[in-house]
Amino acid sequence: MSKEINTRKKRKSSLGSRRKKFAWLVPFASIRLTLTLLSLSMILIFVATLEQVRIGIRGALAEYFESMFGIWHYPEQFWGGEFLHAFPLPVPGGYLLGGLLIVNLTAAYITRFQWTGKKMGIQLIHLGIIMLLVGQLATQAMQEESRMQINKGESSNYIERFHGVELAFSDVTVPNTQKVVTIPQDILEDGGTVRTADLPFKIKVKKFGVNCDFTVTPQGSNREGQAKEVNRGVGQTANLTIRDKEEDFSSEGLNFGYLIFEIFDGTKSLGTWLSLAHPGGNHWWKQSPKLSDFAFQPIRHDGRLWGVTLRSEREYLPYSIELIDVENEFYQGTEIPFNFESDIVLNMEKNQTRQALVYMNTPLRHAGKTFYQYQMNAAADYTVFQVIRNPSWLVPYIACILVSIGLLWQFSFHLVRFLRKNSNNAQPA
Amino acid sequence: MFLGFKISQFILFQTVIVSCCLLLFSCGEKKEIQTYEIPSEYDGPVVTWELPDEWGENPDLSGPMAGSFHVKTELGPMGRIGVMPFRESVSSTDVANMFGMELGQSTISDDELKEISEIKLIEGREFEWIWLSDKSHEGSTRAVLLALFRDKGETWLFPFIADHDLIKSQTRNFESFLASTTLRAGAIEIRAKAPALPPPPPAHHAHHNQGPTWDIPSHWVKSEASSVRLASYEVTDVNGSTLDFSVTSFPGDVGGILANVNRWLGQIGIDSVEQDGLKKYISPIILDEKDAQLVIAEGATDSLYAAILVVEGRSWFFKITGDRTLAKVEKSNFLSFLDSVCFH
Repeated sequence: MSKEINTRKKRKSSLGSRRKKFAWLVPFASIRLTLTLLSLSMILIFVATLEQVRIGIRGALAEYFESMFGIWHYPEQFWGGEFLHAFPLPVPGGYLLGGLLIVNLTAAYITRFQWTGKKMGIQLIHLGIIMLLVGQLATQAMQEESRMQINKGESSNYIERFHGVELAFSDVTVPNTQKVVTIPQDILEDGGTVRTADLPFKIKVKKFGVNCDFTVTPQGSNREGQAKEVNRGVGQTANLTIRDKEEDFSSEGLNFGYLIFEIFDGTKSLGTWLSLAHPGGNHWWKQSPKLSDFAFQPIRHDGRLWGVTLRSEREYLPYSIELIDVENEFYQGTEIPFNFESDIVLNMEKNQTRQALVYMNTPLRHAGKTFYQYQMNAAADYTVFQVIRNPSWLVPYIACILVSIGLLWQFSFHLVRFLRKNSNNAQPA
Repeated sequence: MFLGFKISQFILFQTVIVSCCLLLFSCGEKKEIQTYEIPSEYDGPVVTWELPDEWGENPDLSGPMAGSFHVKTELGPMGRIGVMPFRESVSSTDVANMFGMELGQSTISDDELKEISEIKLIEGREFEWIWLSDKSHEGSTRAVLLALFRDKGETWLFPFIADHDLIKSQTRNFESFLASTTLRAGAIEIRAKAPALPPPPPAHHAHHNQGPTWDIPSHWVKSEASSVRLASYEVTDVNGSTLDFSVTSFPGDVGGILANVNRWLGQIGIDSVEQDGLKKYISPIILDEKDAQLVIAEGATDSLYAAILVVEGRSWFFKITGDRTLAKVEKSNFLSFLDSVCFH
């Protein structure tokens, strides 16, 4: 008996010493803070869900979840909206609430929980929740979403990001191989003159935009807008008028990034070009005869042929995927898709191959990337995969396992204690 | 105090979170300029060159032209040098005749071609060298030098169109330009719709500082021009149906659009119209960046397509008329011709 009391005292004193040692953490471990943060999270989800209708999923994510604070305006169509809409309301963002919850849980872990077998279930549950929060933050920071389009009977060895463009110069003078130099969007956004030892000329960024309206101006009419000064390439031959446009965050939004740039050989200008990035990939330009050269605008310099294009940021893979067949099924008598299916062959390094069927909820996983069935056009014989690279994809699974073990442990512990107590009470006097 | 926190604790708390976020995001790849090599994805033709210092590049490429240049002179840009890749092998006689007809030459036979052509070895490559001179007008010094290079069934044509003396003085530059070229055909088929044409006859110059140029479909056969007709062509089909094409130019408005259209309507058996009825036959178009009128009239047996353009007080008429069925077939060629009209 005295031994048990000693152990209990020891545990309490251990918690007490931790509370003393980390006294500054005690206020952060407040249960009131936990409840406040959870309540604010509910408000955040409510507001973001309302806003998603207006600005789309990506817009709502950027404004409310991938930020410290978001500004919300009471919807005009709600009661009193005509007056209340004018007032901007700050809403705590996902990073702020998530970050605070991580600190709150960690502080509670250190200063409130007894590190004993009896309380191990609670510790595991909280550890699992902390992992979920940290995992989500890591996912947001590291996850990359891309697409891969493959035509039937062909193969592809690159993926293109859904967001973000690059200016690519390709030297195609030598047969069989081509040298590619890419300038990322970050540098294009900064503007100025870009010099690199790998290009024999320098590029002066005159105007870059993430979205634009473009129209083919009738020959003979003067071009208006941003592309007035363009005197070479498709922008000139198709007589394009460009007007800057806000980025469209909605799911149906098509953002045509554009770049107006001048090329210099030393101090001599070689001309000013316009390049447009097709949101579905630059191979789509081939559908439009007047604009087809946007996929490859020739620049001849010093006896070499370069092609320039503004395209979705591209990543080449050390393997390729070949599309053997596509199939789509619809619910009978409707146009509601029942199943999209791509029969593919994965051509890996060292001439290894693997055949696979990619369909809804059954992706292909290879080399840290997951290929989900995304779009399909059986009539045009092509398929599009959404490609996700998420180094922290295992974290939510581990977190859920921890929470499950914790719950099981905690309930089992109480169940055993209850059963023991019951059996003791049931003994005859 | 806020929820039991001191303000200083709250600030510390915020700092920790922001630092965590920044740390996480700084782990992401920093985007930089990248250079890499991949197996060639480009399947178009590769044509590259190095321009002589005395030459300049024409930015307005059109049709099958891969490159277009001029010679820089004290009087400004002169002559026109082109680069035309053909996916198919074309006969030298056909090419020579395409240009020869524009220069007023009669059809050149294979034997005649031998007299005006030679083989030049430039940097280990054989170029067929064809000289054509202008025979449409007495005293004309206009000439065309054609350089043809053939490789594995593909043909590359380099026409040099200019004054005879200018071509002579630039022959060395032309040779060094040809020597500098890299020529590789692509998987995409390129067929020349029409070659780069020489400037119009000097007769135009009397009316206009510099007359227009245009591209004539290769199957239109040149017929005799007159003092009124600046260009005259005939189109015939297998059934013997014909179309007559002409370019004419007159000072002033020549009676105006209504009078001219009514005259043409009468020629194909359509009744004259009043001003209001004109809309049925004309529509606005742009010709070489200038406002013009397109006339389309289809009679019972004959049709007429024409364009009327007024430039600096002169009226230009581009007209094709004849068999209704054949006219329908040739309509797109006529519109392409209009697209190619260029007043320099």
